[in-house]
Amino acid sequence: MSSSGAAGQSAKPAKAGSSQPSETSVKRKRGMFQKDLQHMMYGFGDDPNPIPESVALVEDIVVEYVTDMVHKAQDIGSKRGKISIEDFLYLIRKDTPKLNRCTELLSMQEELKQARKAFDVDEEKLASLE
Amino acid sequence: MNQSKDPFEAAYEEQEESPPDSPLAPDDLDGRPSSPPSAAAPASQDAATAPDDDETGTAGVNPSDPSPSAPASASAKIKRNSKEEDEDEEEENVEVELAKFPSSADPNKMAKMQTILSQFTEDQMSRYESFRRSALQKATMKRLLVSITGSQKISMPVTIVVCGIAKMFVGELIETARSVMTERNESGPIRPCHIRESYRRLKLEGKVPKRSVPRLFR
Repeated sequence: MSSSGAAGQSAKPAKAGSSQPSETSVKRKRGMFQKDLQHMMYGFGDDPNPIPESVALVEDIVVEYVTDMVHKAQDIGSKRGKISIEDFLYLIRKDTPKLNRCTELLSMQEELKQARKAFDVDEEKLASLE
Repeated sequence: MNQSKDPFEAAYEEQEESPPDSPLAPDDLDGRPSSPPSAAAPASQDAATAPDDDETGTAGVNPSDPSPSAPASASAKIKRNSKEEDEDEEEENVEVELAKFPSSADPNKMAKMQTILSQFTEDQMSRYESFRRSALQKATMKRLLVSITGSQKISMPVTIVVCGIAKMFVGELIETARSVMTERNESGPIRPCHIRESYRRLKLEGKVPKRSVPRLFR
């Protein structure tokens, strides 16, 4: 079983209206997440220097996972061209740790938005004072 | 710069003080052309760049800022730059009612975490730091999502959530791979055969979504 070879091919980020999901993975650049994945693998229990083949394999698996999830979200949720958060939340509803993490991320996003809004308001006040 | 404390301990103590008013040191945030023209860039601004790295319930404080002693601090800085630019553009696309999700700021949990963290060895601390700080790049993920869906509009929350889910999936993979290794009494770095076995087990458990049309060749 050869690892999916996309070595040296340039990335083609936008495949508008593509109906061939399998082709996208061939066109993407190798090592999209490589640097981040190395740190992540170390954080989760691997060696400080993971084997490059392992990193490549994990990246392939992750991309496949994300692809399948997105396709499912598109099927389930909506035929409106957009993907909504609700679709993802429905997909992972069975997986409690992931669901909790997602709600945490979303609530934190909201908090940060509020904080930034408050900052902008303060900024304006300061500017008007000067 | 105070390097005697662990970065996370320092962050815990820092959040009890008032948020910093002074602008961050210029070397902390290298050249951010898209940031607002104001000179002051308080913690809330910077914390916005790394929402999934923040500790639970501490909105506005980025633990990595006060004492950046991480080995990956350089790459983390660059990550933060691109993340911030993305978020500024994408704020208008947020339609979901994010406000309905409650935040969890549990002082008991945080106190427990603090006691645990204070007893970490250096090795454990560095690994925990990598665990907290590592993340898949939002820009890369967005590009991937666009190429999968074919639609140009991927809202910010979707990108962030997908990055989070993917990170947890990586965690499951690696942890299962480690347990596979201990079963086989092997040690050292994780090899592809362990990852394949771990992936197979996850599939059996149903944690991996099944393709409706199976892919013939990998």
